[in-house]
Amino acid sequence: MSVAQTPDWEPKIVAFCCNWCAYAGADLAGLNRLQYPANVRVIRVPCSGRINPQFVLRAFQRGADGVLVSG
Amino acid sequence: MKRIGVFICHCGTNIASVVDVKKVAATAGSFPGVVYATDYQYMCSDPGQELIRKAIKEQRLDRVVVASCSPRLHEPTFRKTVESAGINPYLFEMANIREQCAWVHARDKDRATPKAIDLVRAAVAKVNRDGPLQAATIPITKRALVIGAGIAGMQAALDIADTGYEVVLLDREPTIGGNMVKLDKTFPTLDCSA
Amino acid sequence: MVAAAQHPHIKLMTYAEVENIAGYVGNFEVTIRQKARSVDASKCTGCGTCWEKCPTKADSEFDLGLGKRKAIYLPFPQAVPAVPVIDREHCRQFTKGKCGVCQKVCPAKAIDYEQQDDVITENFGAIVVSTGYDLFKWEEVYGEYGYGKYPDVITGMHFERLNNASGPTGGKILRPSDGKEPKTVVFIKCVGSRDEAKGKSYCSRACCMYTAKHAHQVLEKIPDSQAIVFYMDIRTPGKAYEEFQQRSVHEGAVYVRGRVSRVFQEGDKLIVRGEDTLLGRQVEVAADMVVLATAMVPSEGWDRVAKMIGLQTDKDGFFQEAHPKLRPVETFTAGVFLAGACQGPKDIPDTVSQASAAAVKVCQLFAKDEMATDPMIAAVDESICSGCAMCEKICPYKAISIKTITERVAGRQVSRRVASVNNGLCQGCGTCSVACPSSAMNLRGFTNEQILAEVDAVCL
Repeated sequence: MSVAQTPDWEPKIVAFCCNWCAYAGADLAGLNRLQYPANVRVIRVPCSGRINPQFVLRAFQRGADGVLVSG
Repeated sequence: MKRIGVFICHCGTNIASVVDVKKVAATAGSFPGVVYATDYQYMCSDPGQELIRKAIKEQRLDRVVVASCSPRLHEPTFRKTVESAGINPYLFEMANIREQCAWVHARDKDRATPKAIDLVRAAVAKVNRDGPLQAATIPITKRALVIGAGIAGMQAALDIADTGYEVVLLDREPTIGGNMVKLDKTFPTLDCSA
Repeated sequence: MVAAAQHPHIKLMTYAEVENIAGYVGNFEVTIRQKARSVDASKCTGCGTCWEKCPTKADSEFDLGLGKRKAIYLPFPQAVPAVPVIDREHCRQFTKGKCGVCQKVCPAKAIDYEQQDDVITENFGAIVVSTGYDLFKWEEVYGEYGYGKYPDVITGMHFERLNNASGPTGGKILRPSDGKEPKTVVFIKCVGSRDEAKGKSYCSRACCMYTAKHAHQVLEKIPDSQAIVFYMDIRTPGKAYEEFQQRSVHEGAVYVRGRVSRVFQEGDKLIVRGEDTLLGRQVEVAADMVVLATAMVPSEGWDRVAKMIGLQTDKDGFFQEAHPKLRPVETFTAGVFLAGACQGPKDIPDTVSQASAAAVKVCQLFAKDEMATDPMIAAVDESICSGCAMCEKICPYKAISIKTITERVAGRQVSRRVASVNNGLCQGCGTCSVACPSSAMNLRGFTNEQILAEVDAVCL
């Protein structure tokens, strides 16, 4: 049985967010008290152009199940 | 060896009602390089900032992490705080445990605290690798160009020039004045436009 | 106008266009094309002999075609500077190669048919963009008002010229078709404004007030006249505005709430057919003149200006301010400020306030000798940079250039190429650090090592 089939399993998601848009959007979600699952961890970057493919690979390497690049 | 201080903000009840701030502070105290971790009601308030300054002096901190609201809001505030206590303002990081944790996981307190801990751990990891930065300066040519010499351009040019700076007022037409000078009287006082 | 011309710190450059803007806040390098006037401004005394004697006439742009001017002309008598310009499209010296009258009569020998455009480069620390507005081209879409084929259907701006003492009629309100004084003048508001089907979605903000002024001027200048205003809404949000509008109502201006469906010629009358929505019935007016309050649109060439400076625009081409409430005169390009209708339709009081605000922003910048830059920018490790220039190509701000450095290697002087970051231009996006194949480029404050450490920390 793979992990994904265990009932209480949930993915670990790393999100890279551009400071000027996606990160600001995540702040706005907070201001509006929008609720979303707690299994996402946001890493702030100054621009989506800053996101090196190496960062994404490292996240998977360290056990992340999903990576969100948003900007 | 680095001496990092971590400061967890309650933001009144905004953060503290969802996140177990004491637990976050206690856990942060064990992160590599962290020599001091505490929590306080409002870190951005005067007493809160004073608490940070005092801890920097007493604990001989050389780097600071504040876990509170979004850095888009208070990063400049806390950079000034640490600078006033003698630390380079770029040896500072924030963990956003309000907008991106407490507020969005208000109904999931069990997982909000571990998430806050993760966010603080990331900020500590980052501040560990911060280096002091100095703002560079660029020279300023004290001469302004105003493109378009209608009423807006003329007014801006006159105000700048009255301060003593040189202005070039440019227009593509053979005369200045723009649309305004075509007008007859102007409302509501019916005075002349030229 | 004269105040601006005579100010010791203001240099006027008229008949000139900006061709290119390079550099960054505090250090703009601007290329300006000074168009050939064909008149030597340093010799010309503005005596007027040339345009008096010039044999060629053309429609006056300044009077919107209501009057004539010569081929060598001043746009209007009080023009600043009082140096004429030769319109090479109409001047016989240029079209047919012979005439030379102005050159012969000029007592100052200022006429120069050989003059060429002059392209110069100047340095500035700040730029105020105040390129203004044009009027919406109603003739292209409003068939119901006659597509511009009736000479007595004019715009508010034409009406201003008719009213102006230095205008084509010396300030008399006369019909362009036959020069007769109109007795019944109909005003139609919101032509192009608040009309998403044919024009623009926005309100042009000044038209309600200038129409009230025009109605007042008709009633004041023409005995036994009638001023009838067709409107959708009356918007007078300004100090003393409502009172002004009420004044024209008390003077006898008739306000009819409704749209005009058709204007057509019948004899020497213009029949205006519309609806009075308050009475719920059709109305028809036999008018002598129809004045359209046309929408303000961004001045022609706005797209070129936006591209040159890197300004953002809204859907209609008005330049975007950095924040609609808190940074109304700043732009996303540091050191560039907005004033007047180029940012959005506005009236004179608002324009003047905004212009003064823009001036303060410029002075704020100039009050310091140097400006601190954000240190969280890209940095090159020259020891491992191979000079491949990948970063130079990918940088969206043109902040990276390639320079040559000389160093001693094994006792020999060696020159090689490395990347170099301009502090003023770099915005700290870090795209270069991703493109760099050797990790020589890094972003201060968001280094590769830092972001990887964060990834590790959140994945624990």
